[in-house]
Amino acid sequence: VAAGMDGGDAVRARQLVFLLPEYLKDASKKMKRGLMFIKLVNPCSGEGAIYLFDVHLQQLFEIKVFKEKHHSWFINQSVESGGLLHFATPMDPLFLLLHYLVKADKEGKFQPLDQVVVDDVFPNCILLLKLPELEKLLHHVTEEKPEIDNKKYYKYSKEKTLKWLEKKVKQTVAALKTNNVNVSARVQSTAFFSGDQVSRDKEEDYIRYAHGLISDYIPKELSDDLSKYLKLPEPPASLPSPLSKKIKLSGEPVEAKEDYTKFNTKDLKTAKKNSKMTAAQKALAKVDKRGMKSIDTFFGAKNKKVGKI
Amino acid sequence: MESSDEAAIEKHRVHLRLVTLRDAAPATLHLLPCEVLASQSAPVGRFFTPAIRQSPDGLKVSFRGRSLRGEEVAVPPGLVGYVMENEEKLIGKQDFSGGLENDNQEEEPLPQDRFIGATASFSHFTLWGLEAIPGPDAKVRGALTWPSLAAAIHAQVPED
Repeated sequence: VAAGMDGGDAVRARQLVFLLPEYLKDASKKMKRGLMFIKLVNPCSGEGAIYLFDVHLQQLFEIKVFKEKHHSWFINQSVESGGLLHFATPMDPLFLLLHYLVKADKEGKFQPLDQVVVDDVFPNCILLLKLPELEKLLHHVTEEKPEIDNKKYYKYSKEKTLKWLEKKVKQTVAALKTNNVNVSARVQSTAFFSGDQVSRDKEEDYIRYAHGLISDYIPKELSDDLSKYLKLPEPPASLPSPLSKKIKLSGEPVEAKEDYTKFNTKDLKTAKKNSKMTAAQKALAKVDKRGMKSIDTFFGAKNKKVGKI
Repeated sequence: MESSDEAAIEKHRVHLRLVTLRDAAPATLHLLPCEVLASQSAPVGRFFTPAIRQSPDGLKVSFRGRSLRGEEVAVPPGLVGYVMENEEKLIGKQDFSGGLENDNQEEEPLPQDRFIGATASFSHFTLWGLEAIPGPDAKVRGALTWPSLAAAIHAQVPED
């Protein structure tokens, strides 16, 4: 890149700042071609999203963009407006296959996969059919019938899918714990003394948080079913306040009781804002009323317009 | 296995030139807490870099008269940072009407390959905040924890 030291007014090509898995660099020694950006469906929203596909390793990566107001990059001797940071992280292709299986299930019959994964808007979806061990993946979410012509016939199974998603939630919960992600919006005074956050956060908080993360990869309907399957209670905001009942029993002074009641009903939003949350969680508290944690909270603004690559 | 379908799909693809991942020279990156509206060459090495000072509370510099504090932030383990640029290779087309953000080109009958390549690499960058180093709650720090969570979300589940 021959950007002149003093060329302060020279217009230059747009630069994208990316974080890629290290092993792609090693893979590049063995091949010259085969890594490409493609547009596929976002399995949650049904809109378009950019993915990176490795033809040789037959691997799918999703592209997420960190985007926050008022940032810019200095890259060597240049300035790049916007301060975007692109992430390419491995993606389980089963989320995408599931999008098509659920859609095809409306017809209610067993079908060969090449009739299921069909998309006029995102024709690159046929690349998904080339993935290795596709059958192994599919048995997590489908019933299948071996049929004539060595072709297998598949049908979406909600029961199996929910079981599979429950496992996904479990392994995400484990990662949330090892990464010390604060999943609780509540902060108790003991937190300041014990310093033991992991024991403070309830298992249920982790499950709800993980459920929210997974829900960014599945249709809304399935997300609701998963919530029931995991026996997640309704988010606290819509619960009758159990705390005020408790207070009645313990015979707290009237003033305090009133305060607590307020806290548990209409002032919950304000109370949440005031408690100790990360910036991402604050943003989320405004957007998401259902208590789930969306992946978007990791990346600032909603990254719908990734299509500039 | 080439078919006319493949050719049509090709238009939706942007190929990453793999050789550029190997050859990318290290770059120096700064993430500023302000939006510079232009994207162009800038004499960073003349005005910005020589003004950076070490201080007990992190790196210190000023930009447009405002005081900035910063620190080095590492790229998460297992990842490499790259600066990438679009290259345009137009096949059978003379004009540049088919801009990269133009979705209409999908209706173009001519095959058009698009390419992107790495121009530089990095393993860390300097994160700057206005008057103070961005704290642990800074969004960019949250985003950097994403790859490890994503790995868990997308890992294959164990068999029963």
